[in-house]
Amino acid sequence: MSYETEHVRNAGDGVQSITGVPTFTELLTNPALAGLYTAIRRSPGVTAPDLVETVNVSKKTVYEYLRKLKQAGLITEITDATSPSPYEAEDFELRLTIRGVEVSITPELVAVVAHVDEYPIIGRVRDDHGLVTFALAHDLIKSHSEGEITVRQIATLSDLSHGTTYDLLEALYEIHDLGDADSNPTTYTPADVVDEDDDLLTELTDE
Amino acid sequence: MFTANIVDTSIFRSLGKPSTPRFKSLKNAVNKAGTELWVPAPIYRELTDYGTDPPVNPYLDDGVEDGWIRVAIPLAVDRDAAIDSITDPVTQAQHLADTFLNQQSKYPVTNNWRDASVVALAVRLFEQNARIRIITHTADDGLARACAQIPPEFGYYEIESRYYNPPQTAKHNFPTKESLTWSGK
Repeated sequence: MSYETEHVRNAGDGVQSITGVPTFTELLTNPALAGLYTAIRRSPGVTAPDLVETVNVSKKTVYEYLRKLKQAGLITEITDATSPSPYEAEDFELRLTIRGVEVSITPELVAVVAHVDEYPIIGRVRDDHGLVTFALAHDLIKSHSEGEITVRQIATLSDLSHGTTYDLLEALYEIHDLGDADSNPTTYTPADVVDEDDDLLTELTDE
Repeated sequence: MFTANIVDTSIFRSLGKPSTPRFKSLKNAVNKAGTELWVPAPIYRELTDYGTDPPVNPYLDDGVEDGWIRVAIPLAVDRDAAIDSITDPVTQAQHLADTFLNQQSKYPVTNNWRDASVVALAVRLFEQNARIRIITHTADDGLARACAQIPPEFGYYEIESRYYNPPQTAKHNFPTKESLTWSGK
Protein backbone atom coordinates (compact mmCIF):
# COMPACT_ATOMS: atom_id res chain seq x y z
CA MET A 1 0.00 0.00 0.00
CA SER A 2 1.39 3.37 -1.04
CA TYR A 3 1.34 6.22 1.46
CA GLU A 4 3.09 9.54 2.16
CA THR A 5 4.96 10.99 5.11
CA GLU A 6 6.48 14.38 5.66
CA HIS A 7 9.64 13.43 3.77
CA VAL A 8 8.64 10.47 1.62
CA ARG A 9 6.08 10.17 -1.12
CA ASN A 10 4.96 6.79 -2.45
CA ALA A 11 6.34 4.85 0.53
CA GLY A 12 5.15 1.35 1.32
CA ASP A 13 5.28 -0.46 -2.00
CA GLY A 14 8.67 -2.13 -1.92
CA VAL A 15 10.68 0.70 -0.35
CA GLN A 16 13.87 1.16 -2.34
CA SER A 17 17.10 2.03 -0.64
CA ILE A 18 18.74 5.22 -1.90
CA THR A 19 22.47 5.26 -1.21
CA GLY A 20 25.44 6.93 -2.86
CA VAL A 21 23.78 10.35 -2.75
CA PRO A 22 27.04 12.14 -3.74
CA THR A 23 26.81 10.35 -7.09
CA PHE A 24 23.56 12.20 -7.86
CA THR A 25 25.26 15.57 -7.43
CA GLU A 26 28.42 14.37 -9.17
CA LEU A 27 26.29 13.79 -12.28
CA LEU A 28 25.98 17.57 -12.50
CA THR A 29 29.69 18.26 -12.33
CA ASN A 30 31.38 15.24 -13.91
CA PRO A 31 30.75 15.13 -17.68
CA ALA A 32 32.25 11.63 -18.06
CA LEU A 33 29.96 10.18 -15.37
CA ALA A 34 27.01 12.09 -16.86
CA GLY A 35 27.92 10.77 -20.30
CA LEU A 36 28.05 7.17 -19.10
CA TYR A 37 24.67 7.41 -17.34
CA THR A 38 23.15 9.10 -20.41
CA ALA A 39 24.60 6.44 -22.75
CA ILE A 40 22.99 3.68 -20.69
CA ARG A 41 19.68 5.57 -20.50
CA ARG A 42 19.61 6.01 -24.26
CA SER A 43 20.59 2.39 -25.03
CA PRO A 44 18.98 0.05 -22.49
CA GLY A 45 20.73 -3.31 -22.53
CA VAL A 46 24.16 -1.90 -23.24
CA THR A 47 27.06 -3.82 -21.64
CA ALA A 48 30.31 -2.72 -20.02
CA PRO A 49 32.45 -3.74 -23.04
CA ASP A 50 30.05 -1.79 -25.31
CA LEU A 51 30.52 1.27 -23.12
CA VAL A 52 34.32 0.92 -23.09
CA GLU A 53 34.12 1.06 -26.92
CA THR A 54 31.83 4.07 -27.14
CA VAL A 55 32.57 6.46 -24.25
CA ASN A 56 35.66 8.59 -24.15
CA VAL A 57 37.18 7.37 -20.84
CA SER A 58 39.51 4.53 -19.87
CA LYS A 59 38.27 0.99 -19.26
CA LYS A 60 39.19 1.30 -15.59
CA THR A 61 37.10 4.49 -15.25
CA VAL A 62 34.11 2.89 -16.99
CA TYR A 63 34.05 0.03 -14.46
CA GLU A 64 34.58 2.40 -11.54
CA TYR A 65 31.71 4.63 -12.68
CA LEU A 66 29.42 1.63 -13.32
CA ARG A 67 30.01 0.55 -9.74
CA LYS A 68 29.18 4.07 -8.48
CA LEU A 69 26.02 4.35 -10.56
CA LYS A 70 24.90 0.89 -9.49
CA GLN A 71 25.50 1.64 -5.83
CA ALA A 72 23.41 4.81 -6.10
CA GLY A 73 20.57 2.86 -7.74
CA LEU A 74 20.90 4.92 -10.93
CA ILE A 75 21.53 1.85 -13.10
CA THR A 76 20.63 -1.80 -12.65
CA GLU A 77 21.86 -4.99 -14.24
CA ILE A 78 19.21 -6.69 -16.35
CA THR A 79 19.06 -10.21 -14.98
CA ASP A 80 18.97 -12.34 -18.09
CA ALA A 81 21.93 -14.50 -17.08
CA THR A 82 23.97 -13.42 -20.10
CA SER A 83 27.54 -12.36 -19.74
CA PRO A 84 28.61 -9.60 -19.83
CA SER A 85 25.60 -8.16 -17.99
CA PRO A 86 23.43 -5.66 -19.81
CA TYR A 87 22.53 -2.45 -17.95
CA GLU A 88 19.53 -0.15 -17.90
CA ALA A 89 19.21 3.29 -16.33
CA GLU A 90 16.66 4.32 -13.75
CA ASP A 91 14.89 7.67 -14.12
CA PHE A 92 15.15 9.97 -11.14
CA GLU A 93 14.23 13.44 -9.98
CA LEU A 94 16.25 15.26 -7.35
CA ARG A 95 14.33 18.24 -5.97
CA LEU A 96 15.95 21.09 -4.10
CA THR A 97 14.00 23.97 -2.61
CA ILE A 98 15.93 26.99 -1.42
CA ARG A 99 14.33 30.27 -0.34
CA GLY A 100 11.07 29.16 -1.93
CA VAL A 101 12.60 28.38 -5.32
CA GLU A 102 12.35 24.73 -6.31
CA VAL A 103 14.67 23.18 -8.87
CA SER A 104 14.43 19.64 -10.24
CA ILE A 105 17.52 17.78 -11.39
CA THR A 106 16.54 15.19 -13.97
CA PRO A 107 18.25 12.90 -16.51
CA GLU A 108 17.51 15.53 -19.15
CA LEU A 109 19.78 18.05 -17.39
CA VAL A 110 22.40 15.35 -16.84
CA ALA A 111 22.40 14.70 -20.59
CA VAL A 112 23.30 18.36 -21.12
CA VAL A 113 26.14 18.23 -18.58
CA ALA A 114 27.56 15.25 -20.51
CA HIS A 115 28.36 17.71 -23.34
CA VAL A 116 30.19 20.30 -21.24
CA ASP A 117 33.55 19.65 -22.91
CA GLU A 118 32.04 20.08 -26.36
CA TYR A 119 30.09 23.22 -25.40
CA PRO A 120 31.98 25.18 -22.70
CA ILE A 121 29.06 27.62 -22.39
CA ILE A 122 27.21 24.90 -20.42
CA GLY A 123 29.88 24.88 -17.72
CA ARG A 124 30.08 28.67 -17.67
CA VAL A 125 26.34 29.08 -17.06
CA ARG A 126 26.21 26.24 -14.50
CA ASP A 127 29.27 27.45 -12.56
CA ASP A 128 29.10 31.24 -12.91
CA HIS A 129 25.33 31.66 -12.62
CA GLY A 130 24.33 28.61 -10.59
CA LEU A 131 22.10 25.60 -10.84
CA VAL A 132 18.75 27.42 -10.72
CA THR A 133 19.71 29.72 -13.61
CA PHE A 134 21.11 26.77 -15.56
CA ALA A 135 17.93 24.72 -15.10
CA LEU A 136 15.68 27.73 -15.75
CA ALA A 137 17.49 28.69 -18.95
CA HIS A 138 17.34 25.05 -20.07
CA ASP A 139 13.56 24.93 -19.71
CA LEU A 140 13.01 28.34 -21.31
CA ILE A 141 15.15 27.33 -24.29
CA LYS A 142 12.97 24.26 -24.76
CA SER A 143 9.99 26.62 -24.77
CA HIS A 144 11.79 28.71 -27.40
CA SER A 145 11.81 25.68 -29.67
CA GLU A 146 8.02 25.59 -29.32
CA GLY A 147 7.76 29.26 -30.30
CA GLU A 148 6.60 30.25 -26.81
CA ILE A 149 9.30 32.80 -25.95
CA THR A 150 12.01 34.92 -27.64
CA VAL A 151 15.75 34.81 -27.00
CA ARG A 152 15.60 38.22 -25.35
CA GLN A 153 12.75 37.14 -23.08
CA ILE A 154 14.87 34.15 -21.98
CA ALA A 155 17.79 36.51 -21.29
CA THR A 156 15.57 38.79 -19.21
CA LEU A 157 13.91 36.01 -17.20
CA SER A 158 17.16 34.13 -16.50
CA ASP A 159 19.25 37.30 -16.02
CA LEU A 160 21.82 36.21 -18.61
CA SER A 161 23.32 38.41 -21.33
CA HIS A 162 21.94 38.01 -24.84
CA GLY A 163 25.26 36.57 -26.05
CA THR A 164 25.42 33.95 -23.30
CA THR A 165 21.76 33.06 -23.82
CA TYR A 166 22.26 32.65 -27.55
CA ASP A 167 25.36 30.46 -27.15
CA LEU A 168 23.55 28.21 -24.64
CA LEU A 169 20.53 28.08 -26.92
CA GLU A 170 22.58 26.85 -29.87
CA ALA A 171 24.20 24.19 -27.69
CA LEU A 172 20.88 22.90 -26.34
CA TYR A 173 19.24 22.86 -29.77
CA GLU A 174 22.12 20.61 -30.91
CA ILE A 175 22.11 18.35 -27.82
CA HIS A 176 18.34 17.83 -27.64
CA ASP A 177 17.90 17.94 -31.43
CA LEU A 178 15.30 20.71 -31.07
CA GLY A 179 13.58 22.57 -33.89
CA ASP A 180 12.26 21.68 -37.31
CA ALA A 181 13.65 18.78 -39.29
CA ASP A 182 13.45 20.98 -42.40
CA SER A 183 16.44 23.30 -42.19
CA ASN A 184 15.03 25.91 -44.58
CA PRO A 185 13.66 29.05 -42.93
CA THR A 186 9.90 29.42 -42.68
CA THR A 187 8.64 32.52 -44.48
CA TYR A 188 5.61 34.20 -42.94
CA THR A 189 3.67 36.70 -45.04
CA PRO A 190 0.69 38.83 -44.02
CA ALA A 191 -1.53 36.33 -45.86
CA ASP A 192 -0.29 33.57 -43.49
CA VAL A 193 -0.82 35.37 -40.21
CA VAL A 194 -3.35 38.18 -40.64
CA ASP A 195 -6.94 37.24 -39.90
CA GLU A 196 -9.12 39.76 -41.76
CA ASP A 197 -11.79 39.55 -39.07
CA ASP A 198 -9.35 40.60 -36.36
CA ASP A 199 -8.34 44.17 -35.69
CA LEU A 200 -5.02 43.66 -33.93
CA LEU A 201 -4.49 47.38 -33.43
CA THR A 202 -7.75 47.80 -31.55
CA GLU A 203 -7.39 44.51 -29.70
CA LEU A 204 -3.89 45.22 -28.38
CA THR A 205 -4.63 48.88 -27.74
CA ASP A 206 -7.60 47.89 -25.60
CA GLU A 207 -5.40 45.62 -23.52
CA MET B 1 10.89 48.17 -56.29
CA PHE B 2 13.79 48.04 -53.81
CA THR B 3 14.09 45.21 -51.26
CA ALA B 4 15.58 45.98 -47.83
CA ASN B 5 16.51 43.23 -45.34
CA ILE B 6 16.18 43.84 -41.59
CA VAL B 7 18.27 41.47 -39.50
CA ASP B 8 17.92 40.49 -35.83
CA THR B 9 20.81 39.98 -33.40
CA SER B 10 20.62 36.17 -33.23
CA ILE B 11 21.24 35.88 -36.96
CA PHE B 12 24.55 37.76 -36.64
CA ARG B 13 25.51 35.75 -33.56
CA SER B 14 24.82 32.58 -35.51
CA LEU B 15 27.21 33.71 -38.27
CA GLY B 16 30.01 34.39 -35.81
CA LYS B 17 32.69 37.07 -36.15
CA PRO B 18 33.44 38.80 -39.50
CA SER B 19 36.65 36.78 -39.80
CA THR B 20 34.57 33.67 -40.60
CA PRO B 21 33.96 32.75 -44.27
CA ARG B 22 30.22 33.11 -43.61
CA PHE B 23 30.56 36.91 -43.42
CA LYS B 24 32.31 36.91 -46.79
CA SER B 25 29.43 34.81 -48.17
CA LEU B 26 26.99 37.32 -46.67
CA LYS B 27 28.70 40.28 -48.34
CA ASN B 28 28.63 38.44 -51.70
CA ALA B 29 24.98 37.50 -51.22
CA VAL B 30 24.05 41.13 -50.44
CA ASN B 31 25.79 42.25 -53.65
CA LYS B 32 24.15 39.57 -55.77
CA ALA B 33 20.70 40.29 -54.33
CA GLY B 34 21.19 44.04 -54.88
CA THR B 35 19.98 44.80 -51.38
CA GLU B 36 21.07 46.39 -48.10
CA LEU B 37 20.98 44.99 -44.58
CA TRP B 38 19.38 47.21 -41.94
CA VAL B 39 19.61 46.96 -38.16
CA PRO B 40 17.77 49.07 -35.58
CA ALA B 41 20.02 51.09 -33.26
CA PRO B 42 19.14 48.96 -30.17
CA ILE B 43 20.37 45.87 -32.00
CA TYR B 44 23.59 47.61 -33.02
CA ARG B 45 24.14 48.44 -29.34
CA GLU B 46 23.30 44.88 -28.28
CA LEU B 47 26.08 43.54 -30.51
CA THR B 48 28.60 46.21 -29.45
CA ASP B 49 31.53 45.30 -27.23
CA TYR B 50 31.72 48.04 -24.59
CA GLY B 51 34.75 46.41 -22.95
CA THR B 52 37.12 48.20 -25.34
CA ASP B 53 37.98 51.89 -25.61
CA PRO B 54 36.44 53.03 -27.88
CA PRO B 55 33.64 50.42 -28.01
CA VAL B 56 33.60 48.33 -31.20
CA ASN B 57 30.96 46.27 -32.91
CA PRO B 58 32.79 43.17 -34.16
CA TYR B 59 29.78 41.93 -36.13
CA LEU B 60 28.67 45.08 -37.91
CA ASP B 61 31.38 47.77 -38.08
CA ASP B 62 33.13 46.43 -41.20
CA GLY B 63 29.84 46.09 -43.10
CA VAL B 64 28.73 49.56 -41.99
CA GLU B 65 32.05 51.02 -43.15
CA ASP B 66 31.72 49.20 -46.51
CA GLY B 67 28.18 50.51 -46.89
CA TRP B 68 26.25 47.24 -47.17
CA ILE B 69 24.97 47.30 -43.58
CA ARG B 70 22.97 50.33 -42.42
CA VAL B 71 22.14 51.23 -38.85
CA ALA B 72 18.87 53.14 -38.41
CA ILE B 73 19.21 56.47 -36.65
CA PRO B 74 17.73 56.03 -33.17
CA LEU B 75 14.37 57.63 -32.53
CA ALA B 76 13.33 59.32 -29.33
CA VAL B 77 10.47 57.05 -28.27
CA ASP B 78 8.51 57.40 -25.06
CA ARG B 79 8.20 53.85 -23.76
CA ASP B 80 5.80 54.84 -21.02
CA ALA B 81 3.32 56.71 -23.20
CA ALA B 82 -0.20 55.29 -23.30
CA ILE B 83 -0.62 53.64 -26.67
CA ASP B 84 -3.92 55.39 -27.45
CA SER B 85 -2.17 58.75 -27.01
CA ILE B 86 0.40 57.94 -29.73
CA THR B 87 -0.29 59.03 -33.29
CA ASP B 88 3.07 58.24 -34.94
CA PRO B 89 2.77 54.84 -36.71
CA VAL B 90 6.41 53.86 -36.02
CA THR B 91 6.06 54.36 -32.28
CA GLN B 92 2.66 52.73 -32.33
CA ALA B 93 4.13 49.69 -34.11
CA GLN B 94 6.86 49.37 -31.48
CA HIS B 95 4.33 49.47 -28.64
CA LEU B 96 2.09 46.99 -30.45
CA ALA B 97 4.97 44.57 -31.03
CA ASP B 98 5.92 44.78 -27.33
CA THR B 99 2.34 43.95 -26.30
CA PHE B 100 2.02 41.24 -28.98
CA LEU B 101 5.19 39.46 -27.79
CA ASN B 102 4.05 39.45 -24.18
CA GLN B 103 0.71 38.09 -25.32
CA GLN B 104 2.47 35.26 -27.21
CA SER B 105 4.77 34.36 -24.29
CA LYS B 106 3.65 31.79 -21.71
CA TYR B 107 5.90 33.42 -19.09
CA PRO B 108 5.76 36.70 -17.09
CA VAL B 109 5.66 40.04 -18.87
CA THR B 110 9.05 41.35 -19.99
CA ASN B 111 10.31 44.46 -21.72
CA ASN B 112 10.47 43.53 -25.41
CA TRP B 113 11.69 46.89 -26.64
CA ARG B 114 14.63 45.52 -28.60
CA ASP B 115 12.55 42.80 -30.25
CA ALA B 116 9.91 45.41 -31.03
CA SER B 117 12.50 47.68 -32.67
CA VAL B 118 12.69 45.22 -35.61
CA VAL B 119 8.98 45.66 -36.31
CA ALA B 120 9.18 49.44 -35.79
CA LEU B 121 12.06 49.73 -38.28
CA ALA B 122 10.01 47.88 -40.89
CA VAL B 123 7.13 50.34 -40.49
CA ARG B 124 9.58 53.24 -40.52
CA LEU B 125 11.15 52.14 -43.83
CA PHE B 126 7.68 51.75 -45.33
CA GLU B 127 6.75 55.25 -44.12
CA GLN B 128 9.88 56.76 -45.65
CA ASN B 129 9.93 54.86 -48.98
CA ALA B 130 7.01 54.54 -51.37
CA ARG B 131 8.54 51.72 -53.46
CA ILE B 132 10.03 49.29 -50.99
CA ARG B 133 9.63 45.64 -49.99
CA ILE B 134 10.99 44.37 -46.71
CA ILE B 135 12.32 40.98 -45.63
CA THR B 136 12.97 40.42 -41.92
CA HIS B 137 15.23 37.70 -40.50
CA THR B 138 14.96 36.34 -36.97
CA ALA B 139 15.35 33.12 -34.96
CA ASP B 140 12.27 33.83 -32.80
CA ASP B 141 8.90 32.52 -33.92
CA GLY B 142 6.87 35.16 -32.05
CA LEU B 143 8.92 38.02 -33.46
CA ALA B 144 8.75 36.54 -36.96
CA ARG B 145 4.95 36.45 -36.70
CA ALA B 146 4.88 40.02 -35.33
CA CYS B 147 6.93 41.19 -38.33
CA ALA B 148 4.34 39.74 -40.74
CA GLN B 149 1.30 40.72 -38.71
CA ILE B 150 1.86 44.26 -37.44
CA PRO B 151 2.92 46.29 -40.54
CA PRO B 152 -0.39 45.38 -42.30
CA GLU B 153 -2.17 47.14 -39.41
CA PHE B 154 -0.68 50.33 -40.88
CA GLY B 155 -1.46 49.41 -44.49
CA TYR B 156 1.88 47.80 -45.38
CA TYR B 157 1.65 44.30 -46.85
CA GLU B 158 4.92 44.04 -48.84
CA ILE B 159 6.75 42.12 -46.15
CA GLU B 160 8.19 38.60 -45.87
CA SER B 161 9.37 37.38 -42.50
CA ARG B 162 11.95 34.59 -42.39
CA TYR B 163 12.11 32.44 -39.24
CA TYR B 164 15.24 30.31 -38.79
CA ASN B 165 14.51 27.16 -36.80
CA PRO B 166 16.77 25.74 -35.43
CA PRO B 167 18.61 29.08 -35.05
CA GLN B 168 21.94 27.61 -36.11
CA THR B 169 20.53 26.92 -39.59
CA ALA B 170 20.99 30.65 -40.20
CA LYS B 171 24.74 29.96 -40.48
CA HIS B 172 24.14 28.40 -43.90
CA ASN B 173 20.70 29.58 -44.96
CA PHE B 174 20.95 33.31 -44.21
CA PRO B 175 24.08 34.34 -46.18
CA THR B 176 22.57 33.40 -49.54
CA LYS B 177 21.10 35.38 -52.41
CA GLU B 178 17.83 33.41 -52.04
CA SER B 179 17.25 34.37 -48.42
CA LEU B 180 17.83 38.07 -49.18
CA THR B 181 15.63 38.15 -52.27
CA TRP B 182 11.85 38.69 -52.38
CA SER B 183 10.26 35.29 -52.99
CA GLY B 184 6.74 36.47 -53.82
CA LYS B 185 5.45 33.44 -51.91
